[in-house]
Amino acid sequence: MLNSFVFHILTTSETTHKVVEKGQEESHELPNLLTFINKSFAHHYDALIYAGVVSLMMITVAVITYRKRQMIPGKLQNFVEMILENLDNLFISVMGKEARKYTPFLGTLFLYIWFMNLIGLVPFFKSSTSSINTTAALAITVFLYVQYTGVRRLGLWGYFHHLLGSPTDAVTWALAPINLPIHVIGELARPFSLALRLFGNITGEDILIAAFVSLGIMFMGLFGSPIGFPFQIPFILLAMLTSTIQALVFTMLSAIYFFMVMPHEEH
Amino acid sequence: MDYQAALSFALPIAVAIAAIGSGLGLGRAVGSAMEAMGRQPEAAGKIQTGMIIGAAFIEALTIYALVGLLLLMGKIGG
Repeated sequence: MLNSFVFHILTTSETTHKVVEKGQEESHELPNLLTFINKSFAHHYDALIYAGVVSLMMITVAVITYRKRQMIPGKLQNFVEMILENLDNLFISVMGKEARKYTPFLGTLFLYIWFMNLIGLVPFFKSSTSSINTTAALAITVFLYVQYTGVRRLGLWGYFHHLLGSPTDAVTWALAPINLPIHVIGELARPFSLALRLFGNITGEDILIAAFVSLGIMFMGLFGSPIGFPFQIPFILLAMLTSTIQALVFTMLSAIYFFMVMPHEEH
Repeated sequence: MDYQAALSFALPIAVAIAAIGSGLGLGRAVGSAMEAMGRQPEAAGKIQTGMIIGAAFIEALTIYALVGLLLLMGKIGG
């Protein structure tokens, strides 16, 4: 019964969407809790709602840990402190001593993206990061913060000088007009590449899992079985790996972008 | 041939070509990183970080092809 139910939801949600938004592409994903509420309102905002669920979970854990912090940490505090310390060490290994200032932002970014990726693997939940709007918002936030940091740390002229390719002698000054558009386009391309990379990876893995779920249901349906064959399990394990790596990549690239606009003492 | 048939042939081939390219690139990158790690096991952490970031850049190209496929897939059989 369950399999025909899920299959029904899979097929009907696709067809209804084809009717509702004609010409608009609708990715073939597994049903989530909001699919059962047959209202287009909830369905159009599911990325937002699941992002909200993830933030609520993170805020709850943070508040509980903060309220109950002790000199001798308990289990939860130990766990949270371990995560924080590892993230801090990771950013220090990329950006050097100044990383401490950016650990709150980058660490939150990592945990938020990581949990949003992973919650899509829980049955009846959806990865918010499989919507381009979520990843674009995150990438634009990083872009704006990097520009702000660049202007703040280097000064307006210093940042412009950095965009010119930090010219010092006659040859590099001559090349500066060529360097400027390259650097500006490079800066503007970053949010696109950040957003599209995360969106493509997570959407790809979600569609892959959904395809194998429906394959398993169809396969066992031949023998009249009520439940599908779990073809998707190896791909869920793979998805757990890629979720972590993609969250790490997004954060590490952001850390490198911050590092690149900070003043360097060594040269 | 109408454009829908053309798309349904072209889209998988486009992703496949992108995958071949980034597969070759990833093979080279990861192979060199593994060699470097074998030569200097104490630098494994740093090499791994660099490798993952480089791999993400290479992989992004396939993902762009995949995003193109996702955008154009709605036009088939609509």
